[in-house]
Amino acid sequence: MARFVVRRLAFMIFLLAIVSIATFLLFSVLPVDPASLSCGQHCTPEKIAANRIRLGYDQPLINQYFTFMKGIFAGRSYGEGAQAFSCPAPSFGYSYYRGQCVTEMITNALPATISLTIGSAIIWLTMGIGLGVIAAINKGKIQDRVSTGLAIFGLSMPTFFIGLLLIYVFIIWLQIFPFPSYTPFLDNPFKWAQALVLPWFTVAIVSAALYTRLTRDGMLETMSEDYVRLAIAKGLPRRKVLVRYVLRGAITPIVTIAGLDIAVLLGGAIITESVFGLPGMGRLALNSVTDSDLPVIVGITLLTAFFVVVANALVDILYASLDPRVRLES
Amino acid sequence: MKLNSRTKFGVVVAASALLLSACGGGGTSADGSGTPAKGGTITYLTIAEQFNHVDPQRNYTGQDLAFFGSYVNRTLTTYAHAEGAAGAELVADMATDTGTATDGAKTWSFTLRDGLTWEDGSEVTCQDVAYGVSRVFATDIIVDGPTYAISYLDIPAGDEGSNYPGPYKATAEQQALYDNAVSCDGKTITFKLNKVVADFNYTVTLLAFAPVPKAKDTGEKYDDAVISNGPYKIESYVKAQSMTLVRNENWNPDSDPVRNAYPDKVVVNFAQDQAVIDSRIIASSGDDAFLVSMDGIQPENLPTVFGDDKFKNRRVNETDPYALYAAINVKKVNCLPVRQALLVALDREAVRQVAGGEFAGDFADGFISPTMSADYAPNKVLDGVQPTGNADAAKALMEQAKTTCPDVYAKATGEGLVYDHPDTPTWAKNAAVWIESMKKAGIVLKSNPIEPGKYYSVVMDEALQGDISRGGWASDWLNASTVMPELFGEGGFNISQNKKDPAYAEFNALMDEALAQTDRAAQAAIWKKANQYALDQVWAIPTFFGRSQEFRGGNIGGGYLWYPFGSHDYDALYVIQ
Repeated sequence: MARFVVRRLAFMIFLLAIVSIATFLLFSVLPVDPASLSCGQHCTPEKIAANRIRLGYDQPLINQYFTFMKGIFAGRSYGEGAQAFSCPAPSFGYSYYRGQCVTEMITNALPATISLTIGSAIIWLTMGIGLGVIAAINKGKIQDRVSTGLAIFGLSMPTFFIGLLLIYVFIIWLQIFPFPSYTPFLDNPFKWAQALVLPWFTVAIVSAALYTRLTRDGMLETMSEDYVRLAIAKGLPRRKVLVRYVLRGAITPIVTIAGLDIAVLLGGAIITESVFGLPGMGRLALNSVTDSDLPVIVGITLLTAFFVVVANALVDILYASLDPRVRLES
Repeated sequence: MKLNSRTKFGVVVAASALLLSACGGGGTSADGSGTPAKGGTITYLTIAEQFNHVDPQRNYTGQDLAFFGSYVNRTLTTYAHAEGAAGAELVADMATDTGTATDGAKTWSFTLRDGLTWEDGSEVTCQDVAYGVSRVFATDIIVDGPTYAISYLDIPAGDEGSNYPGPYKATAEQQALYDNAVSCDGKTITFKLNKVVADFNYTVTLLAFAPVPKAKDTGEKYDDAVISNGPYKIESYVKAQSMTLVRNENWNPDSDPVRNAYPDKVVVNFAQDQAVIDSRIIASSGDDAFLVSMDGIQPENLPTVFGDDKFKNRRVNETDPYALYAAINVKKVNCLPVRQALLVALDREAVRQVAGGEFAGDFADGFISPTMSADYAPNKVLDGVQPTGNADAAKALMEQAKTTCPDVYAKATGEGLVYDHPDTPTWAKNAAVWIESMKKAGIVLKSNPIEPGKYYSVVMDEALQGDISRGGWASDWLNASTVMPELFGEGGFNISQNKKDPAYAEFNALMDEALAQTDRAAQAAIWKKANQYALDQVWAIPTFFGRSQEFRGGNIGGGYLWYPFGSHDYDALYVIQ
């Protein structure tokens, strides 16, 4: 098992290095000139040229890449003399468009996204797996039809529509909630939860549908396995069979997908964050793309890749612990 | 997992509390009427991710100037915090008066008041003002701000700009150039200018002329955290989230006869959805009664807000500093009767309608906005001009042009005149109105949509500009010196190309006379004359003076559109106690 974990971690580092090179190369060939973006209103070709030198964009691409990578581990300094300032490690660069270190921007945005991700993941996994179990154990009955219908409804609704629908029903019509205004958890846990309840359900309603279908189909498949029928034949309690044998057998693909879904969501839920005005990674990404703010786009892309790769590795490790066949095959 | 009964109870209580207290935020609030009082918190909502700039020398938008000028940065002179025309009055701020001009207004001096302090309690000195202004010259770091200091101060310049590179890179010799132009004698600061600037005391209202303590200057990063010399200081500023201002305990009200400083705390929440901002302020429930929108009102909500008297104390709909017009390329359309025909033929009511109707603005009779109350006077508009256009009068003028300037007439009725406008749906509708109006008068007009981001760079290029180009202008300070010379004189925004027009010499003489006139009333009289003159020559067709709408919650009083900046007068807003 230890060898397996080490191998997975090494592969993860290799993958991240490849992603960082690809991202850096991709954005370096885009027709956007960061030296112009940071030049201000009264810009001249001379000022653009001076900016290019100041920002290091006059250097060969490979030097720029290594400077960037070095910044992640050792931080970076900008400017000169008394006006010099630094972006401490891990530094993803400096946004001259916003006048802020990219890491600081990400650090400011991450708590809202983490809050959204954790809350919604709990809800969608509970809802999705719960409805899937109900559908599976009541196959063909009304409970199965309702659960499957709800799943299809959630899956067919666009995220923005669900978000606006919840705003209309719970804020404007019933006035159960005030308009969401994100408050950090440590400032006021109650207001934090109040602002996130509707975004949590927006993400969860859309995401839970897939898990309902996966759980239902996985459980039905597992129920037909010989070892399950044997367990039932031996007289084990139905609940014990369902939880210990059937659900455990069906849960492995769900763990895989949940890991990846959570990782992607940590990179930002653009639509949900925009609809509810959450100052998270998704909105930061959207604004950075709109403003062609390359350092921020590169930073967010790398971080999202990091989340996905790490989640993938964790899922693999978890998968191996759940299913010994994976270890043996590896 | 099975929940035990205690856990179940906890979950139910938590959920119930969440829902019940959410319900508790409701209730109707005050209606926006009250008397000014100190205390409370005002929360502003904006769709913007952050302020354009916080650094005073980089601050250049009306809203940001009004906000930071009200709360954080003091300047030598400023405008009175008052509603309507009274708000256009120039008043002394850090200075003891509105400045003394000598040498025919080529030298200006201002003396600082006693008791001026920074937020750390140290004294604001003349050197701090001089240092702040010097930062404008560091054009590699201090970007986006107004550069009047570079244009006006008597510092030699070469082909690549000023010989003074700003305080960060200047050698002792270069610094001496600046120190010669801006000098301190005790509390008196003197600016030596390279030309007569009769309204330099208006120029220094810009935050680009605000002081900065040299020891606290962090160059580019000063844009994140400025040192306050106003009634509030920045407690926190997280871009894309919020800014919080709290009272500056070291601000001395006795040294500041201008500001009221009503609330105890000011919060700005960034990156809000415009529809949500409107809905929250319309509902004005609970804490939302203390909200103020920084972005006006969405067009679809204007009828609701302005159609119901319950909002009468919470809404503002006033003329802003913008004058909208269509510049005529006089080099190409060098025929007064044709230009007059264009003016008379235009259906300005329809033009305004596609821009948003009566909320977009009022018909303009010139180029100086009524918000510049000292310089504005109603003009006499050409006979025959009607709100919906007058095709018959236009046809008569075109008949006149047939004989006086047959070439232009032939182009206007044959191949057609080219109308430049930004390539957006709204401007496409505007162009359609223009084309239809002209068609009725027998004038052929062709639309020339230009990519919005490149619009001004195209129309300011003589080789690329068409015959008619839409434009809009607001003054940098409340003196028509930043309007008339810019639009029709030697300024940088003259897209009327009128310098070869026979009437230009007389007009330019008026410009020179006004710019050298230090008597404000006499100067205003010349601007009024010049405004009428430009209209008579139809170097541009004024369409309408812009209007802005503002909106606030029921527990906020004191809202009006501050004439100098066309935004809230932030200092006048207070929490109704």
